[in-house]
Amino acid sequence: MKRLRATFLILPAATLIFLFVVLPYVTVLVMSFRAPADGQPYGEGFSLAGYAQFFNEGYYAWSLPQSLVLGILTTFVCLILGYPVALHIAKASKRWRGLLYGIVLSPLLIGIVIRSYGWTILLGNSGVINSTLRQFGLIERPLPLMYNNFGVVLALAHVFLPFMVLPLLSALQSMDPALGQAARSLGAKPFTIFRRITFPVSMPGVQTGCILVFVLAISSYVTPALVGGMRVKTTTLLVIDALIDQFQWPFGSAMALILAVSAGLIVLIFARLTAMKWN
Amino acid sequence: MTEVSLRSLVKRYGKTEALKGISLHVRHGEFVSLLGPSGCGKSTTLKCIAGFEEVSGGQILFDERDISRKLPEDRDIGMVFQSYALFPHMTVAQNLAFGLEMRRVPKVEIAERIARAMDMVQLSAHAERYPKALSGGQQQRVALARALVIEPAILLLDEPLANLDAKLRDEMRGFIRDLQKRVGITTLYVTHDQGEAMTMSDRVVVMFDGQIAQAASPEEIYDHPTSERVARFVGNANILDLAVSPRGDGQLDLVLPGGHLLRVERPACGAGGGMRVMARPEQIALTEPAAGQIGGRVAKRYFSGRHVEYHVETDVGPVVVVAPTTHAVREGEAVGLRFDPQRLWPVPSAEAPAEGRE
Ligand SMILES: Nc1ncnc2c1ncn2[C@@H]1O[C@H](COP(=O)(O)OP(=O)(O)OP(=O)(O)O)[C@@H](O)[C@H]1O
Ligand SMILES: [Mg+2]
Repeated sequence: MKRLRATFLILPAATLIFLFVVLPYVTVLVMSFRAPADGQPYGEGFSLAGYAQFFNEGYYAWSLPQSLVLGILTTFVCLILGYPVALHIAKASKRWRGLLYGIVLSPLLIGIVIRSYGWTILLGNSGVINSTLRQFGLIERPLPLMYNNFGVVLALAHVFLPFMVLPLLSALQSMDPALGQAARSLGAKPFTIFRRITFPVSMPGVQTGCILVFVLAISSYVTPALVGGMRVKTTTLLVIDALIDQFQWPFGSAMALILAVSAGLIVLIFARLTAMKWN
Repeated sequence: MTEVSLRSLVKRYGKTEALKGISLHVRHGEFVSLLGPSGCGKSTTLKCIAGFEEVSGGQILFDERDISRKLPEDRDIGMVFQSYALFPHMTVAQNLAFGLEMRRVPKVEIAERIARAMDMVQLSAHAERYPKALSGGQQQRVALARALVIEPAILLLDEPLANLDAKLRDEMRGFIRDLQKRVGITTLYVTHDQGEAMTMSDRVVVMFDGQIAQAASPEEIYDHPTSERVARFVGNANILDLAVSPRGDGQLDLVLPGGHLLRVERPACGAGGGMRVMARPEQIALTEPAAGQIGGRVAKRYFSGRHVEYHVETDVGPVVVVAPTTHAVREGEAVGLRFDPQRLWPVPSAEAPAEGRE
């Protein structure tokens, strides 16, 4: 009876997961093995042509390391920028905490296209930064702030910072404040306390935040497209190109799966490396 | 071995004065409890000594050296927290090693010392466990060992037993006290449990509202409280309104409603204003109605196994008497009460302006 009721309770969730996760993945998986065709999305029978094309043509193959590096860099920048912010909010008084929380979440309130466009206004060759510097005679030719990894990582980190800060914050806030006092009474200086106590104890938050940002960054489309100006070729850009412009569904599906599996592997390795025996 | 002196310690949080001039001297190896109701400033006192709070006035001396401006990490204290504050990502052995590593003790010596410390708290079998895998009592012992392994000058404990169940708490009382005696470390212990303070301490410091009301041995606090408030806070107390008349020879005459006269020692404190008389429930004898100094009627009777508690209505108000279970008096019966003049203790009444000793 109890078993039966439990089954009923997970039924809605199970249905949703099947409909929106399992089914699409299976469809993509099957599609990636279909034969390519001209004038229609896919042809008769099955083939490995999509996978072969990806790995044989450097134009496509190089997009994978490009995507992964972009994801890793964005994650790293978010961690470096987000950790001090989270520390600060965790220590702030109640009154300030709300305001700081709002500031951290604010990038999410603006649509992604508008925000990316905003970055192009700032970073472009005749954008705010370059034209100002030129006016003051500090530079002769515009600095390459856009259409490269620098600009894309900057814009991505801006959007995804909240996804790093929130898990960090929750880890830091659930930490017993007496831990720091105990460490001090044992003779530890503030920086030692951060290195040996605060940071390791906040590791579950670091893990969650890094995985979230990495996965989001690697699958982002609008920001690399606008800020990268099609010159930063990520796999996601090529997937959309294959599916929508070239109308090659098997090839697009194969690339999407290759990206998903690679990202999954990296997440797995990261989780292994940062595994916490104590938790 | 270290002596601790607090001299007119004041701590303000904004406008609220959490400590209003605390003066206390703790001797070498002494076990002193800070006892008082919630919010009276016990933890604040401890935090000031540990250095987690900056003092607003006064001095803290370890062996005559003023340390009130020193950083917590330079004060050489061992501290045990109510939440234990064990480092969750370190094993028991690593938790114990932390303080020694901070002191740059050589590796070999660290291993020896943590082995000895784990032995001392009977946790050698759990050296490689993480705190989450230990019971509350075991975590408590790790916290104690971690504070002691650095051989600090003084040991501070802030309600270390508050999170344990009653049985374990009794066990740990004895354990902590024995350990403290063996190590011989000067110890300050914060608690709001008067039983804990009485059984463990050499001296109990009763605090109210950021001030010390009385500091004395457990026996002295229990038998000779200097104020009605202390009398009521420590154990059960009957506070009786009796006619008190001072005599020339340093004694007091108490007149009971039936005309009985009791002659008692006059306490040194607050003899000026109004006086009331404290009688502990177990120091009053229950007798036949005719044999008592005053008469009364049993209103309530509570049996607890070890003894029986009677609530008796008398001419001087309700009186609680604790008697051996061999007495068999029923509710509603008339009884007599006898007081032992040696044990009665006059206290300044709560309305008197000067409460406690300054
Ligand atoms: N950080 C703080 N900011 C403002 N007021 C504080 C702070 N810490 C303590 N107080 C106040 O100081 C007084 C003493 O607090 P303290 O924590 O020392 O009490 P306590 O005797 O330890 O009580 P408890 O038994 O509840 O732990 C209280 O009135 C408390 O509200
Ligand atoms: Mg407290």
